[in-house]
Amino acid sequence: MSGLLENPAVQAGVAPLVAALIVAALLGRTRFAWLAIVVGYATMVALTTGLSFTPLTASRKIMLLALLAPLVGLVADTWFARRPVPMVLLAIAAGAAAVWTFLSVLVQIDGAQMWLAGFGILLYASAMVHALLALRDDPLRAGAAGLGLGLATGIAALISASIGFLFSGVAIATSAGALLLVWIVSRKPIAPGVLGTVSIGLPIALFSTGTQMLAQMPWYALAALLLIPLAVRLPVRESSPAYVRAFMLSLYALAAACLPIAAAWFAARSTVS
Amino acid sequence: MRKLIAAISLLALPLSAAAAPEAFTIDPYHTYPNFTVDHLGVSTMYGRFDKTSGKATLDRAAKAGSIDLTIEAASLTTGDNDKGTRARSRDEHLRAADFFNVAEFPKITYKSTKFVFNGDNPSSIEGNLTLLGVTRPVNLAIDRFRCNSAAGNSKERCGGNASGKFKRSDFGMKFGLPNVGDEIGLIIEFEAVKD
Repeated sequence: MSGLLENPAVQAGVAPLVAALIVAALLGRTRFAWLAIVVGYATMVALTTGLSFTPLTASRKIMLLALLAPLVGLVADTWFARRPVPMVLLAIAAGAAAVWTFLSVLVQIDGAQMWLAGFGILLYASAMVHALLALRDDPLRAGAAGLGLGLATGIAALISASIGFLFSGVAIATSAGALLLVWIVSRKPIAPGVLGTVSIGLPIALFSTGTQMLAQMPWYALAALLLIPLAVRLPVRESSPAYVRAFMLSLYALAAACLPIAAAWFAARSTVS
Repeated sequence: MRKLIAAISLLALPLSAAAAPEAFTIDPYHTYPNFTVDHLGVSTMYGRFDKTSGKATLDRAAKAGSIDLTIEAASLTTGDNDKGTRARSRDEHLRAADFFNVAEFPKITYKSTKFVFNGDNPSSIEGNLTLLGVTRPVNLAIDRFRCNSAAGNSKERCGGNASGKFKRSDFGMKFGLPNVGDEIGLIIEFEAVKD
């Protein structure tokens, strides 16, 4: 059994999928079903590096924020999910959290480059979370975005020399896939709200920024990742059955996912190690 | 009375000079920390850091000494620098956040707390290793130690080999366990020139 749990495919794929399926099946009729995302991610963390927060390095801040994101979502859903201005402020707060996450790396960059990198992180993480928040009333689009973003982040991380972020991205992708699967079967998708969309948007923004700051992903791959939540907003026939819509939206997301992966690949091939 | 104090001071001067610790600067071209790690339970992989600097002191009379090493984490090599047709090489992966996380922790340091002597030469060093922002005690056995006295334009030079081991998980480096082993062997070849 322990040998099975040490298999990377089980740690990043199968175990998060099973854990997310269980949560989605148990809570499938409530918006808490979206906790499947964080449960899938936490399962991967528990099976790989384990949960530890001292010293609070950038990687551990990422873990901490990814685990706390659903709580923030719950509070936001309860208090101000229907108002647009708090949504923008929430996205900016996510950007600020991303800057805090990478502060220990940023302070080692000289002069104007530090400010440029810090502003870039703020802008990127805010844009990613805002793009996901825009999908908070649409479960299939949000799920497809999670699938595409997770796979794109994971594969781009692998190409960029970070297997840890590959695992993280794949865990988000399989958890989002588990939700889509449950809803295709049950035909009763539940809107993600802020809980679901922040649970995808913030971790993905942090994993991808982490791969850029702590490994070798090029900055333009981050820009390409932002196309995925936009791609899932393309039209699908709303009268189609849920499985057809889920399939089409996943196809849009996966097609857009090719761009950041290609960007990471191009950067890897054009640099001499 | 003043003459007596002056006389005692003069007598004591050579003794205090002899007891003074001698200061050395690490020779970066002859000092390389090497490491070993088990891979898949099949083989022992070797790696090393190419850039190390630091200072040392030695006081044979007092049987004391100190060493302060700073290792550039990004200078690591395991012989797999050329990615060839792959996206990334192993050394690039080792420099990323999964292992040495050189962007966030560019320096690895070792600071001694105590030198243990066997006769005139140090036989082991007690000290603290700081890796990934975590500081833990790591002791080094000095397997070989010798000093060459100054000759011609060459200053006195001391050097040798030291070895030790630690668990990488103690420093928070948990990625890849247990396929990539937890126990890290440390073998340091070192030379230092008297200041």
